[in-house]
Amino acid sequence: MSDIQALNFGSTVGVLSDAMSGAGTEQTVLANNIANANTPNFRRSDVSFKEALAATQATPPDPTELTLATDSDRQMSINGAQAPQPFDAQPQVDQTTQMRADKSNVDVDQEMAQLSINSGYSQTMSQLLQVQFMRMREVISGNL
Amino acid sequence: MGFYSSIEISASGLSAERLQMDVIANNIANVNTTHTPQGGAFKRQLVVFGEKPDTAVGQAEGSLDGDQAGNGEAGVQAIGVVNDPSPDKLVFDPSNPDADARGYVHMPNIEVVKEMVDMMAASRAYEANVTAIQEARNMGNAALGLLRS
Repeated sequence: MSDIQALNFGSTVGVLSDAMSGAGTEQTVLANNIANANTPNFRRSDVSFKEALAATQATPPDPTELTLATDSDRQMSINGAQAPQPFDAQPQVDQTTQMRADKSNVDVDQEMAQLSINSGYSQTMSQLLQVQFMRMREVISGNL
Repeated sequence: MGFYSSIEISASGLSAERLQMDVIANNIANVNTTHTPQGGAFKRQLVVFGEKPDTAVGQAEGSLDGDQAGNGEAGVQAIGVVNDPSPDKLVFDPSNPDADARGYVHMPNIEVVKEMVDMMAASRAYEANVTAIQEARNMGNAALGLLRS
């Protein structure tokens, strides 16, 4: 007796929905940076959700390299194979740069540009998701 | 992280910048006020902005594992309105009823040009927050469009 499988729409839908949720986190963080544009000593945050998204994909081993045997996933693997990680986009405070006299490192122009890029990215992802669902509906209905 | 949290964050920015505008307008309106209930000339007021502690977001997000609080994504708040400690301007005008014994009147320490510059900065920051809300709404609409198709 096998357990009932969860309804799975395939990896494309999973990746696209992770991308949209990452873009949502990024939007929240950018909105916070912009809201604190005039706060002295404020440190901007950033989400590197695209790296987290890339880590959700398993990296296949490089066939030209010899494999190094490991017995723990904390050991170095030499041929670059990587198991897929769960999607986890956490905001990180950017402590490195400082550009203003009031010790804040928010550059509103840059935040607005990032915001615009992020919004476009999220809308593209939702368009792709829509197309993916349309394909599924065509397959389900069967009248091609 | 809620669907509307980024709009709420931008809204906190909107209200903070609006308070800044109110205080600046009050400063400009009182540029010639030499008589106040506290005595002496009007003092220029400044708004102090501070990062809002992210209790609401942190608790909702980190209630299970606790270590996700403190990412600082809860917007901005005005911590308070303080008086500018710079000295009053002294104007020699013996006929003024608020003149002191030597004939000098204490005028408020307000420079209208400085207030105008602050007002432009507050106004631009307000617009930036409005744009952030619009972008968040566009993203939400795109996500809702998945149901419509």
